[in-house]
Amino acid sequence: MIARISLACVVLFALVLATFSMGAREQRADFTYVNPSDIHTLDPARMSWIQDFRVALNIWEGLTRWDARTLEPVAGAAEFPPGISEDHRTYTFAIRPDARWSNGEPVTAADFVRGWRRAIEPGTAADYAFLLTGNIEGAHDYVHWRYQAVARLKQVGAEAEFDAHAAALDERFARVGLRALDDRTLEVRLHAPCPYFLDLTAMPAFLPIHSSIEALRTRHRSAPLDRNGLVAYDPQWTKPDYHREGYPGLITNGAYRLVDWTFKRRARLEANPHHSVAASLNCRTIDMVCFDNLNAALMAYESKHVDFLPDLGVSYDHELARLSLSGSRPDFHLCPVMATYFLNFNCSSLELGGVANPMIDRRVRKALTLATDRVRIVENVRGRCDRVAYSFVPAGALKDYQPPKGLTWNPSEARQLLAEAGFPEGAGLPPIEILYTQNDRHVIQAIARMWETELGVRTNLHCKESKTFGEDKSEHRYMVARGKWYADYNDATTFLDCLITGNGNNDSGYTNVAYDALLHRAARTADRQARAALLAEAEAVIVEQDCPILPILHFTEPVAIQPYVSGLYPNGRLWFSFRDVNVQR
Amino acid sequence: MIPRLLKRLVLGLVTVACVYTVTFLMVVSIPGNPLQQGERKLPEEVENALRARYDMDNNWRYFGQLVQGALRFDFGPAFTYSDWTCNQILRGALPVSVTLGLLAMLIAVGVGVPVGVWSAVRRNGLFDFATLSFVLVGVSLPTFVTGSVLLTLFAVEWRLAPVGGWGTFAHLPLPAITLALPFMAQITRLTRMSMIDVMNADFVRAALAKGLAPRTVVWNHALRVAFLPVLSYLGPATAQALTGSFVVEKVFGVPGLGQHFVNAALNRDAGLILATVLVFSSMLVALNVVVDVLYGWLDPRISGAV
Repeated sequence: MIARISLACVVLFALVLATFSMGAREQRADFTYVNPSDIHTLDPARMSWIQDFRVALNIWEGLTRWDARTLEPVAGAAEFPPGISEDHRTYTFAIRPDARWSNGEPVTAADFVRGWRRAIEPGTAADYAFLLTGNIEGAHDYVHWRYQAVARLKQVGAEAEFDAHAAALDERFARVGLRALDDRTLEVRLHAPCPYFLDLTAMPAFLPIHSSIEALRTRHRSAPLDRNGLVAYDPQWTKPDYHREGYPGLITNGAYRLVDWTFKRRARLEANPHHSVAASLNCRTIDMVCFDNLNAALMAYESKHVDFLPDLGVSYDHELARLSLSGSRPDFHLCPVMATYFLNFNCSSLELGGVANPMIDRRVRKALTLATDRVRIVENVRGRCDRVAYSFVPAGALKDYQPPKGLTWNPSEARQLLAEAGFPEGAGLPPIEILYTQNDRHVIQAIARMWETELGVRTNLHCKESKTFGEDKSEHRYMVARGKWYADYNDATTFLDCLITGNGNNDSGYTNVAYDALLHRAARTADRQARAALLAEAEAVIVEQDCPILPILHFTEPVAIQPYVSGLYPNGRLWFSFRDVNVQR
Repeated sequence: MIPRLLKRLVLGLVTVACVYTVTFLMVVSIPGNPLQQGERKLPEEVENALRARYDMDNNWRYFGQLVQGALRFDFGPAFTYSDWTCNQILRGALPVSVTLGLLAMLIAVGVGVPVGVWSAVRRNGLFDFATLSFVLVGVSLPTFVTGSVLLTLFAVEWRLAPVGGWGTFAHLPLPAITLALPFMAQITRLTRMSMIDVMNADFVRAALAKGLAPRTVVWNHALRVAFLPVLSYLGPATAQALTGSFVVEKVFGVPGLGQHFVNAALNRDAGLILATVLVFSSMLVALNVVVDVLYGWLDPRISGAV
């Protein structure tokens, strides 16, 4: 019996080893970097994670792209700067004659129309569609018409109505301020001046899409819609080796092209031979490898199996920050990120679980803000070189914008305000329910302690798993909840718009007509200085007067770049272009 | 035996169906929006469009779709990684987990059984004491500790193995040993205990009295009976090893199925949760049937077990 079992084990063992002998060993790429969790999606219209942006913006190129050092918009697939009308509402882009797809075909204006139209279509479900519908004339009306039709088709289900709607698609879209005047000229008409529009056109939602994607479009009754009336494509279109219906695989127009993508293992990029910078690229192949465990990723970096670590969120990152600051590890770089960590105060619910919500009163919110020593949190609790936040928009992050000073630590004024609100030394104030996730525990515990010590208030801490936390926050089932916001583009409105009445990301439920009016006025002000002043005035309302949020800190994220790698520039958006990377091992 | 086997298989299918249904009920009941990724709130229109696309407006219709797909072995789209289908994810991850699990179980059985036998035969000696200590440590130490230690020593300090990943021979030993250790400890313990019992049996004494060599008595006769409890443990243990260990995969960066169990649940990715649960429960049922068949082969007295 033992002999038989042993023989079976040996055969099995040989089979296991044989599996590995069949795979050919590939050459190491010129440059290797780590993505902690693999790409969520390579569909540029649908992506919202910075890790996905990093790949997309290296394999695609928008009308503009971000300069690797300054992150200012520079020429992409179009000449720069574009023609801009006197009212700053019409942009005319000339596609560069040398702009090419990875199959050699020229990039045309129609490719951009295809990409932008797809991004706003309901079926695409694009997170960043609002950047197009909120700026391009007629886009919002078109999308509204589409959503109404889809809802009606769902109820009625009439084929005739479906056909009529499908037939009207192009005619309705023609009313949107986006047209290809010819193969090389794209005209965009905005409904109001947008000083950061050229920053937006570098974003993934504004990328062009090659015409080959149409082979994978879902069609119902010969119409370019699915049975629900939505625009839909086979989600496999982002794969380089997908060839259903004669689809040639993913075609892109960036400095690199995707040649291989194995889920949760690796994505390989190769130089796009048809791109204008192809001859000057130092790194011809780039590997993005997945490491779920950042500790293992750091070990791989230490062993030089990996050249670049853009995400270093390990539990001992304060130690990495210390090593960077002391100079003993010059390969660790600290990036001051355009992001804010803050607390939301629930400004909308009168009651929570049968208890009156004290956060409705701005004096209570302001008192809690004044009682929070943010310097201590940044230096003693976090200890990883984050910047203290007194404003929502990070100070110094935008060259044309200076945020207000905000409220600094002042416990005596805090106690006075709390007394004015009817809760002297916290008496009569219900316990403050604080909602957060596991990663926030140290900061939240420190803040709760400060409030208890300085104001005599009681706190109940609710640490929840992230999805449950997200749902509770969306449904306003909290008094105070942790918040985080990363800038989408280089303008103060990427932060300030969050607190406009009714904005989907206005988690605190804050509403102030004066605040909304200031932002509305700023949106229609062409003069940059006047606009910045209006925005600063609006921000002062939220960080000095009403305090619907309590800014705590602006993140500093460590990244690791091997000493033999050059051409990577740590920046506040954590976005990295690979076209300048040079690896000299 | 065939009719009994068929009956077990049918019951197994019913078990899997019940597990699938209960899992679905749990998935649609727990809080959290499966379509929202990250902190940014999904616009209402976007969410409605996604729900329409995936037929998630009505739970029962959604369940019907999932069941129809599962019967065709089409597990539908993944929400978190929307460019991939559940089938593609399983196709990539399952072979990795099966390979790693098989190797781990080979190591666990190949080392655990002989050590357990030897320890039982040399009971109360130094070897037995060392074995019991190993069992205690192996059962007590969590895999993220042993894995991290092995990784630090062999990969980082001594550079004898790569730091995580998958695809070559060199990627196999460390995760396989880490995964094997707790199973090995249990198998050693069970084998030792069972052998001690069986060595006192009448048939063993009779065999020795007949003049059979002790080695023959131990390995050809006693072990055959003593292996039965180990076999009972091996069924579910093998299923657990073959479907991936989240901890080992995370520590060593192995792209197996275990991580998808956990991440799919955290992300509320219904399709992937149900696909992984279906794979695991099917494997568990199948391996339990295999164990029952092997029972009969090992010990003809219980050939009616199936």
